[in-house]
Amino acid sequence: MSAAEHAPRSRGRRPDMWSLVILAGFAIVVVFLIYPLFDIFRYSFLDKVTATFSMSNWKAFFSKAYYLRAFWHSILIAILTTFFSMVLGIPLAFFTTRYRIRGTNLLNTLSVLALLSPTFIGAYSWITMLGRNGFLRLLFQSVGINLPPIYGAFGIVLADSLQYYPFISLMTAGALMTIDRSLEEASENLGARSVKTFFSVTLPMVMPSVTGGALIVFMMSLSNFGTPMIIGGNYLVLPTLAYNLYTSEISQTPGMASTVSIILMLCASVVIVLQQWVSSRRKYASMLVNRPIVKRLKGVKSFLAHLLCYGIVFCSTLPLAVIVYYSFRKTSGPVFQPGFSLDSYRQIFFDVPKTVTNSFLYSLVAVLLIASVGTLLGFVIARKRNAAVSVLDPLLMIPYMVPGTVLGIGFIVAFNRPPIMLSGTATIIILTYFIRRLPYSVRSAASILKQIDPALEEAGINLGSPPGRTFRTVTLPLMQGGIISGAIMSWVTSMNELSASILLYVGKTMTMPIKIYLSVADGYFGTASAMSTILLVVTGVSMFIVTKYFNRGSETFISA
Amino acid sequence: MTSIRIVDLEKSFGEVRALSGINLEIEKGEFFTLLGPSGCGKTTLLRTIAGFYRQDKGDVYIDGELINNVPAYQRNTGMVFQNYAVFPHMTVFDNVAYGLRVRKLPKEEILRKVSAALRTVHLEGYEQRTPDKLSGGQQQRVGLARAMAIQPRVLLFDEPLSNLDAKLRIEMREEIRAVQKSLGITSIYVTHDQEEALVISDRIAVMNQGVIQQIGKPWEIYADPQNTFVAYFVGKINMLTMRLGEGAGQGLRRATLGGLSLLVPAEGTEALHEAIVAFRPEDVAESVRQDRQDSLNTLSGTLKSVSFMGSVARFELDVEGQAITIDRHRPREADMPQKGGSMSFEVPASSMLLFDPNTGRRVGKGAQR
Repeated sequence: MSAAEHAPRSRGRRPDMWSLVILAGFAIVVVFLIYPLFDIFRYSFLDKVTATFSMSNWKAFFSKAYYLRAFWHSILIAILTTFFSMVLGIPLAFFTTRYRIRGTNLLNTLSVLALLSPTFIGAYSWITMLGRNGFLRLLFQSVGINLPPIYGAFGIVLADSLQYYPFISLMTAGALMTIDRSLEEASENLGARSVKTFFSVTLPMVMPSVTGGALIVFMMSLSNFGTPMIIGGNYLVLPTLAYNLYTSEISQTPGMASTVSIILMLCASVVIVLQQWVSSRRKYASMLVNRPIVKRLKGVKSFLAHLLCYGIVFCSTLPLAVIVYYSFRKTSGPVFQPGFSLDSYRQIFFDVPKTVTNSFLYSLVAVLLIASVGTLLGFVIARKRNAAVSVLDPLLMIPYMVPGTVLGIGFIVAFNRPPIMLSGTATIIILTYFIRRLPYSVRSAASILKQIDPALEEAGINLGSPPGRTFRTVTLPLMQGGIISGAIMSWVTSMNELSASILLYVGKTMTMPIKIYLSVADGYFGTASAMSTILLVVTGVSMFIVTKYFNRGSETFISA
Repeated sequence: MTSIRIVDLEKSFGEVRALSGINLEIEKGEFFTLLGPSGCGKTTLLRTIAGFYRQDKGDVYIDGELINNVPAYQRNTGMVFQNYAVFPHMTVFDNVAYGLRVRKLPKEEILRKVSAALRTVHLEGYEQRTPDKLSGGQQQRVGLARAMAIQPRVLLFDEPLSNLDAKLRIEMREEIRAVQKSLGITSIYVTHDQEEALVISDRIAVMNQGVIQQIGKPWEIYADPQNTFVAYFVGKINMLTMRLGEGAGQGLRRATLGGLSLLVPAEGTEALHEAIVAFRPEDVAESVRQDRQDSLNTLSGTLKSVSFMGSVARFELDVEGQAITIDRHRPREADMPQKGGSMSFEVPASSMLLFDPNTGRRVGKGAQR
């Protein structure tokens, strides 16, 4: 302490731990985001054949119907999915919050499971039900109803809506539960009937949440790759178009795929900006004094309300149940045989055990990276505001608006040549998981920290504990629950990641989602089902841990 | 012996001047309060002493040691926070032991010191409780025990009572005062509550806009304010900006404002044509007898409103267009005047304070001040 007396008067700023963290944050953004994205941008201006500067890709995109059609398909699918998600989500939210519906927790859990399960599993399951010889199609045919073919827009919208509606139902339910009862009572007291009250008070109050959820659904369905890839057939949307272009351009410069990627990213950015805008002006200051009344319905009304809620959730869980069922069916090669067996599982563990271990290993490494880097960067953003951090904060959010397909193409063009050679390695797959999930992790760490009083850290320091030790003994233990539940969410998304890794894998780095996709493409439904079931179990168990041990409600799953 | 010495301290946050020209000497064992409205810089000063802020200019000494470059965690100052800042993930024992463990004291010594600290704040037997099972007052006791357990060179209190309810606040402030006196640790206490400051402190520094307005014992601050800010901030006071006339003998001078006329102490006002004449509501003598109407400094006005506060009734009067507040002690319902009625009262020149309207500085005062 006495040495301090001899120190220079104005303390020279030596780089402390947090400056290094900020520096690392910039390094990550520059190397793994700006560099690959800039590469895509550059390639979009290179001629396919001559590799010189040219506008030909851009001209082609805006003049050829083949490309433009995919753009409009994407928009149309996103709009329809959003619409149907609202049709399913809003009534479900209203009935489960305002009326006594038995088993609301079960309903929420099942719809979150459907939401978190990989999109390609749902899509593939709908094929088995409504495909050319699907049992549901045959069932409908037997009563004289001919359903439209599942391949194409119908299938994508069906699978997407039934997957994504929980974004809307959970966010709306959250808002409905926090409207003070007295507001609706005031309306009725002033002479409004309950229908009038719903449309003039209740609905406007939850509208910001509905819009917020709708924009998330729009975004998810716009950048979704798995569903249209499996069920879309010739109906191309931007992510599948970019993928197809990339795989066919592989020997040349991927100019066209890059152009499509940029268009896709621009669409996503517009939605993200809209969503940020909506959520910034979102929410009426809620002074929740009296919780809303949960009414008890009787007789037919009660039956109908239950039928509606259970019907919606049943339809969204059905694909998962079907997959699990098929995984236990007897198979011989690609053909299902009567009776049950564990053949499909046996096949996985004898033929492709590496795929399973890859998935677990890559996700584990990625999660450790995500949780540690995300926590440190989240701390910097929440506690160490300075000019550099103000620049870093929005940069870290870029992955939000980069669909997986785009990131995959960016990584492959940027990292298959010096100075950074990563193509074909496990590292590149782990890095995609890491980058895609990083903004969520940073955001969640920062928001946990915002709920921790900075005075606690000051108290630690004041009592003689240096900043590093204070972070370890005070801050970290308080963040623990949030970090772990966030890490488990990252684990689930990493395990289920397909859209970027499918562009980056080689034989030895194959993961379960990729194997599922390939098995479906080859017609090996048994293997695909068994592997999907494993992913579903991993998703379900993770969800269970988060709710059970970290006491997080359903809202964790939609924000994370 | 001087415990804390602060020399020419300056601190700005961007464009905002938070502290300027701060000079202070605090004696060992003294209970010293920084009093002022929110945003006056009192908390900034406290946090600068703790090392949470780095001053732009000036020096801070603790026990003669210059600590400008000593990081916060090596300053050995025990801080008690406004919102307690009790670690929610630790038991009461672990909270109090935290600073001792950082100092790597032997186990038995930690045990002994924690017990002693908890005994001092009357929390024996609470060792294994977690903070969520404690009331606000108990949490603040943990905060206090934790801060004093490390035997700091100075205790820093950052509005420690402002989150407690009124009754507990009074109880706790007496306890803090008693603990501080028994341990003899120099203490700096930040508050915006003037009554709290008057009760608890050995000396008070009144602050406004980053500048110390006056340093003095509670009595001096209240009875002998050096400028209009201190007079206005501590206690209730009437202030009238009056034109000064010629002398009236006996050391008095005539002052007028519209139809209002008072004799005020002349000393110190010789060079002025105008002065702010100030007097506290409790120094006014209520003249009940009408025949004293024309006696020295008797005023009468219309009663606008009455606030009954228990031991005191406070009357707001309109006197020749000026709002004046006067107090009546031990009021009784039967004697209470009617709103809109007339009241007479006397303002003794001996209780007055006179300020220069241009600088706000005090220039003169009555003999009894």
